[in-house]
Amino acid sequence: MIEFKKVSKSYDGKTNVIEGLDLKINSGELVILIGESGSGKTTTMKMINRLHEPTSGIISIDGKNIMDINPIELRRNIGYVIQKVGLFPHMTIKENIELIPYLQNWDKEKRAARARELLELVDLDPDIYINKYPHELSGGQQQRIGVARALAVNPDVILMDEPFSALDPITREQLQEELLKLQDELQKTIVFVTHDMDEALKLGDRIAVMKDGRVIQFDTPENILKNPINDFVEYFVGKDRLWKSPEMLYARDIMVKKPATISLQRTPAKALEIMKEKRTDYLVVVDQAGDRPKKVVGFVTPRELRNKTEAEHKMKDIMNTGFIPVSETTNMVEVLNIMKEKRRKNLPVVGEDGYLKGLITQTSILNLFADAITDLDDDEGGDDK
Amino acid sequence: MERMSFFQFFMNRIDQVIRLTGQHLQITGTAVLLAIVIGVPIGILISKHRKLANPVLGIANVFQTLPSLALFGLIIPILGIGLVPSIFVLFLYALLPIIKNTYTGINNVDPAVIEAGVGMGMTYSQILRMVQIPLALSVIMAGIRIATVINIGTATIAALIGAGGLGELIFRGISMDNAHMILSGAIPAALLALLVDWLLGMVEHFITPKGLRGK
Ligand SMILES: Nc1ncnc2c1ncn2[C@@H]1O[C@H](COP(=O)(O)OP(=O)(O)O)[C@@H](O)[C@H]1O
Ligand SMILES: [Mg+2]
Repeated sequence: MIEFKKVSKSYDGKTNVIEGLDLKINSGELVILIGESGSGKTTTMKMINRLHEPTSGIISIDGKNIMDINPIELRRNIGYVIQKVGLFPHMTIKENIELIPYLQNWDKEKRAARARELLELVDLDPDIYINKYPHELSGGQQQRIGVARALAVNPDVILMDEPFSALDPITREQLQEELLKLQDELQKTIVFVTHDMDEALKLGDRIAVMKDGRVIQFDTPENILKNPINDFVEYFVGKDRLWKSPEMLYARDIMVKKPATISLQRTPAKALEIMKEKRTDYLVVVDQAGDRPKKVVGFVTPRELRNKTEAEHKMKDIMNTGFIPVSETTNMVEVLNIMKEKRRKNLPVVGEDGYLKGLITQTSILNLFADAITDLDDDEGGDDK
Repeated sequence: MERMSFFQFFMNRIDQVIRLTGQHLQITGTAVLLAIVIGVPIGILISKHRKLANPVLGIANVFQTLPSLALFGLIIPILGIGLVPSIFVLFLYALLPIIKNTYTGINNVDPAVIEAGVGMGMTYSQILRMVQIPLALSVIMAGIRIATVINIGTATIAALIGAGGLGELIFRGISMDNAHMILSGAIPAALLALLVDWLLGMVEHFITPKGLRGK
């Protein structure tokens, strides 16, 4: 765990570029520092490996004040990846990766094995690349080596300062995917600086939004997106951002929270009445009436009711039990896929406790679009002024 | 006196020419070696302590700017004449290109490379030894090459204060109004400069790290 306690940093002794920063980064967590240029992201990161030192406050790793650790020792146990990569141009890929193991006196076989293993880990064929020089590699390949080199002595903590910013969008996306895969496998504590919100949302377990040397909001991507703490965060995230990340929209955001229901013992006449009243043609059949949590047992539509209007027909006899429940955290993309593939217009949302939480209907999805369009209207109105 | 061809004149004195060439190389070589031993560390030092760079380069520049003849003249009251003052003056001449190229060579190493090195836990001396010097080596070598070639020229003047070398033939030829003798000194001196320049150029090429060649 990396912990900042009331950390301030001034370069000139007058103004603080970092101001009373408190931050707790858990082990195995990928934390994003995001903010505009000059907001102090790089400074914050560089204080972790003592490339810069705090003017006041304490930074500790696993409870140990980093000022009590020899900086060389400290840095060798922290991987460091920068935007400009900084491979040693006069050394081969192998020599680049093996440098810190070499300085740590690893024996030759162990070093060589590690270099090959790391190349494979970053998806480069060792037989092809191990003896090449950095300038023979593309930008994306060089940064893969940058990552491999940072992992060489298997540090627990890795610092990455805009590592993919200089790459073209396609390569960037590939490297992001691979970082996620790698992180799944290795569970490092990663501090990742970026100014790209898409990247932050995609990679971060948690995101720290920085402004003027302070952390404005430190939260999961979902919360940053859905509950921005103030206008700045909202502006920074971008109003229409949610739309660009449909995988961040979950069933619980899309669903109607109080869908029309009917209990097992009710009659078709009652069903028709409810449909009329609620202006819907889909009723969720639940195990009991009243306000207590209910379990979904089926559904009825006008089709189930056809020709069964007599009072002795109860819902339990005529309902369709072939409903497809989704969980609250099923995302928009998955929801749409299920609707399309299973040809359903309605999906009940069921919580982990097994009770009905809501219903996704075509209308509820359409309403989401309507909301977004209202937002756009607002923006246009602003421009006209 | 029977007119001899230059070639005959030259062949008659070939032993002397060879001896003086050797002497010439010895004076130049000693001066350049001293300048390397002193200049490279100074160049490294001022690349670490940037504030020192301007004053140091300024002083070295003064030696370079002074006319060589004037410098030889100035040194006589202090060190007298002979080999030692000659080598000393040539040494001063060789300093600037060597200090300057060491300084620039090390400074021109991509800051991102240094940052990566520091960030991954290399010490200052490891970075210097394993990164900065190897990357600056060909630039340093270029400085050594310039210094050597300049010194081969300047060393001919050192004959004036009794250093020997090919300059001896040139100045004696001038005073005796003997064109053949002048040429016996001047031509080997010119060829020597060209040859050494070429040789050191080869060295420069071969010490350029493979990863940087053909970029
Ligand atoms: N080495 C430095 N010396 C002086 N000021 C610096 C230095 N590094 C950064 N700063 C200043 O500190 C502030 C924060 O910079 P930085 O941490 O690099 O921000 P970011 O990475 O978010 O762009 C900026 O105002 C910048 O000008
Ligand atoms: Mg930065």
